[in-house]
Amino acid sequence: MNSRSRYVWAYAMIAPTLIGTVLFWSWPAIYSIYLSFLKSENFGMINHWIGLANYEKLFKDKEFWKNLRNTLYYTVLFVPVTLVFSTLFAVLLNAKIKGQSVYRVIFFLPQVTMPAAAAMVWIVLFAHDYGLINFVLGTDVAWISDKHFAMIALVIVGVWGAIGFNMLLILAGLQGIPRSLYEAGEIDGAVGLRKFRYITLPLLTPTLFFTTVVLMIGATQIFDSIYLLIGKTNVALPAVRSLVYAYYQNSFVYYDQNYGAAIVDILLIINLILTGVQFAFQKKWVVYD
Amino acid sequence: MIIPFGWMILTSFKTVTEATQIPVVIFPAHPDWSSYAKAFEKSDFTHYYLNTAFAALMKTLFPVIFSSMAAYAFARIRFPGRTLLFFIIISVMMVPNPVFYTPQYLLMSKWGLVNTVTALWICSLVSPFATFMLRQFFLGISKELEEAAILDGCNPFQTFRYIMLPLVKSALVAIVIIQLLWSWNELQWPLIINSSPDKLTLSSGLATLVSMFGTNYPVLMAGAIMAVIPMILLFFIFQKRFIEGVAFSAHKG
Repeated sequence: MNSRSRYVWAYAMIAPTLIGTVLFWSWPAIYSIYLSFLKSENFGMINHWIGLANYEKLFKDKEFWKNLRNTLYYTVLFVPVTLVFSTLFAVLLNAKIKGQSVYRVIFFLPQVTMPAAAAMVWIVLFAHDYGLINFVLGTDVAWISDKHFAMIALVIVGVWGAIGFNMLLILAGLQGIPRSLYEAGEIDGAVGLRKFRYITLPLLTPTLFFTTVVLMIGATQIFDSIYLLIGKTNVALPAVRSLVYAYYQNSFVYYDQNYGAAIVDILLIINLILTGVQFAFQKKWVVYD
Repeated sequence: MIIPFGWMILTSFKTVTEATQIPVVIFPAHPDWSSYAKAFEKSDFTHYYLNTAFAALMKTLFPVIFSSMAAYAFARIRFPGRTLLFFIIISVMMVPNPVFYTPQYLLMSKWGLVNTVTALWICSLVSPFATFMLRQFFLGISKELEEAAILDGCNPFQTFRYIMLPLVKSALVAIVIIQLLWSWNELQWPLIINSSPDKLTLSSGLATLVSMFGTNYPVLMAGAIMAVIPMILLFFIFQKRFIEGVAFSAHKG
């Protein structure tokens, strides 16, 4: 077959994905940036170019800075806690213990559970008077309606949901470490925690790097659990409201889609910066062989 | 880790009073099923189910077919513009999802699709993620079989369909499960695009159950359990493939 007709086949095979991607994803991404420079009326029928006015308003908006702070605060709490617990459980599961697959299923269940369903049971568990958590801990905390505790509640639910998937990623990384390295380490006197610190951890850094990047991107987009767990009339909402939640409110509750677009475009920039910084610092701590 | 699931099940069999009693009641005195029937009777639960299942099917079937074709072409055929076109497709993976929603909403409203079941899946007809992942699988397969097929006069599509596709079956299963799971549980897009009760999905519908049943926790928990059962079954049946698929994506990053 000549190369010309091979080309034709290749283009035909990528056409659906390419056209769909441009129409439904690339073009919207570009249009979202364009929207943030407009003021729209009549549900987007009339558009005026207003330049940076939406961004000016955004930067002067105290609520925006609060939402940004909340988003970053959630990320800073959620990512390390998830990483530590996922690594801990992965190391424990990597040791040859009975019923490994049962544990994997148990840890993975939250991952396959619909966030809306999970949020409902957490609302019951966190309930002030009849909640199981206060009952067991003997505490008297209004977990999801107290502005000091709402963020912690969100982090608990987030970590609970994320451990399974991340533990698996780390487990896969652990199983890629050759046995011979541990044998060599044992001869040099590495036991217990030292084995973990000097052999496991360095070799796990590529997996941890990948996990951190993915976790951070996900954490900055937190919306579902705020919408479901905290809810729109909760007094603690301002203390946890994220950028994506503010985007949703502005775009689809107050119908200011231009202001909403400006908010998510900022989120896009934040994500590009965070990922860029991660890749820049990669050399400092990630060990590639 | 599993306490929330246990509590979900226990609560669904309690009476309304038992669910909110102080001190906490752990086991219901007379377990009863009536909450499950109530969730169906008093809401559009059947609609939620059908909408979710239909949308999830469409969001799985089309992306998997389109992506496997595109992934094969990108991995195995050299053609002008290959790098650029692949870059166009995977570059959207870097963009946070909410960035797409307003323009997609405007597009749907232009096409008159707001508040239709079609709007739930049409924007997800293609998947850059699945394309990327499947390309990795195709790259890992040896060239020899393929060369034999080409010598036998197979065109690239036939080579793909009869030789290569069967070789990545386990990757396809993993992607099907991931797409189904993601579509089944997705919340934000259904919430934005559809608001009439018979067009909601389970995910967005459960949120409205809360406002309907307030603190009738047994009914809410019954609804929640019924919403998660299909995916939990799917997970149990395909557990091994699923976990392999996840582990794989970690290695190839």
